[in-house]
Amino acid sequence: MHLRGDRKMEEEWTPKITLFCCNWCSYAGSDDAGVGRKQQPPTTRTIRVMCSGRTDPGFVLAALLEGSDAVLFTGCHIGDCHYISGNYKAKKRFEMLKEILDELGLEDERLQLQWISASEGSEFAEYIRKVTEEIKAIGPSPLRQEWMK
Amino acid sequence: MNIGDRVVAWSKDEEIKKEGASGGLVTSLLTAALKGELVDEVIALQKKSEFEGVPIRTSDVDEVIKCSGSLHAAPINLTKFAVRFFEEHPDGTLALPAKPCDARGIIEQAKRKKIDLEKTYLIGLNCGGTMGPITTMKMLEKMYEIDPNEVIEEEIERGKLIFKTEKEEKAISIDELEEAGYGRRENCRYCEINIPVMADLACGNWGAGENETFVEIFTEKGLKLMNNAIELGLIETAPATEKGIKIREKTNGVMEKVAKKWHEKIFVPIEDRLERLHYYMDVMEDCIDCEACKYVCPVCACDESKCIDFYDPMDSHKISIYHLIRLLHLSDSCIGCGQCTDVCPAEIPLTTLHRRMADRIQTKYNYVPGMDMKIPPSFEVE
Repeated sequence: MHLRGDRKMEEEWTPKITLFCCNWCSYAGSDDAGVGRKQQPPTTRTIRVMCSGRTDPGFVLAALLEGSDAVLFTGCHIGDCHYISGNYKAKKRFEMLKEILDELGLEDERLQLQWISASEGSEFAEYIRKVTEEIKAIGPSPLRQEWMK
Repeated sequence: MNIGDRVVAWSKDEEIKKEGASGGLVTSLLTAALKGELVDEVIALQKKSEFEGVPIRTSDVDEVIKCSGSLHAAPINLTKFAVRFFEEHPDGTLALPAKPCDARGIIEQAKRKKIDLEKTYLIGLNCGGTMGPITTMKMLEKMYEIDPNEVIEEEIERGKLIFKTEKEEKAISIDELEEAGYGRRENCRYCEINIPVMADLACGNWGAGENETFVEIFTEKGLKLMNNAIELGLIETAPATEKGIKIREKTNGVMEKVAKKWHEKIFVPIEDRLERLHYYMDVMEDCIDCEACKYVCPVCACDESKCIDFYDPMDSHKISIYHLIRLLHLSDSCIGCGQCTDVCPAEIPLTTLHRRMADRIQTKYNYVPGMDMKIPPSFEVE
């Protein structure tokens, strides 16, 4: 006997999204979304890092090669970093990675940066909903499709 | 003499003058730096044949004299040798002849604290391009109809490549050679920096007479090198002529124009996203995981290589994380020296790939790597 939910999963492709959360803000933000029972699609694989500045570009590239359809950087708003300047570093890395991935032929939406604070639970859920829709619209990552052949 | 002066100079030693190119100035400067105890060691390229040069690090004056003469068909970058010198002797001083790409590599390493630029004397050499040794040998047989083993001297003058044997002398224009698929290495064709303005001195035969070298002095260190050699009585100088200065500027202008044309020809943008991805995958799937491109790269500066951190050799059958991280790491610092393409046993056009990325990032941040110490690498955050 099939549950309704199972059958639905077979029919519809859902993206896999790697989400890097800063321990001090966006991770608490995602917690807040859960506590507040804000609905969000189960497409993200959350990785907690101590600071958005800890997100090594290698992590992002590895995630994309291993089959992520998108990678999201989330961290404290500029000026609010727990370690003073970690998010500036994240921003610089993000900008450079973006150029590289664009040249490689990946769409703009596959790498995103969003500042989310600890109290922005509803914004967090809203953001995940928005990204999931965007990725669903553009389909699976070409890197994964071509690479896994 | 002052900083900014342009002079012509030549060696007083008859033997060096005969063996070395354009009056043997660079060899004399290097020997003078050792004799005058300005430096502990020098790096020079020892000539094995017209197509092979071996870099040596030495403090022996006689060894340096053996290294005289220009080698256009031995494209070697000396940056990593300088890095190794400072690993072994952190307080040592070093002098070396440097093409623009050597000098730029050294400055990029100095920015990453691998080389002490205050203690490195860079004798810049004007460079119109270098050639791959095998290509040159093939070219000699097909285009010049000369046996490669018989070549005793080679020279680039007025856009023509000249080879001399005991019996004859033949000149063919570089444009003609490059159209036939020979001539300079691909990255040299689109390199726009021919005069090493980032070094301490710029030496070259553009605008100089027979058996003379045109020298422009850029820094305090450059001035020291020249004065030291003059005091030891090893070189002689004369002010450069107006005509010479003009010829040099004109030659440089022509070379830059040609380079821009080649750049447009080689870097045709690929508009379609998927096509772009396939282009990168198709060329990189030949990778055999030897990591040679990492070892020779003059601007690669990780203490523990990050590119092999997450790397599983099983991945190299298509685009691998090793290459992706290298593409990212070098996107701000790649100087287009061509070493990676040269060493690649699978003949992947790595320099072209790196330049495709680097052109984007370097234009975006308005950063030209290896030109001066003032601007930090774009990856750095204030």
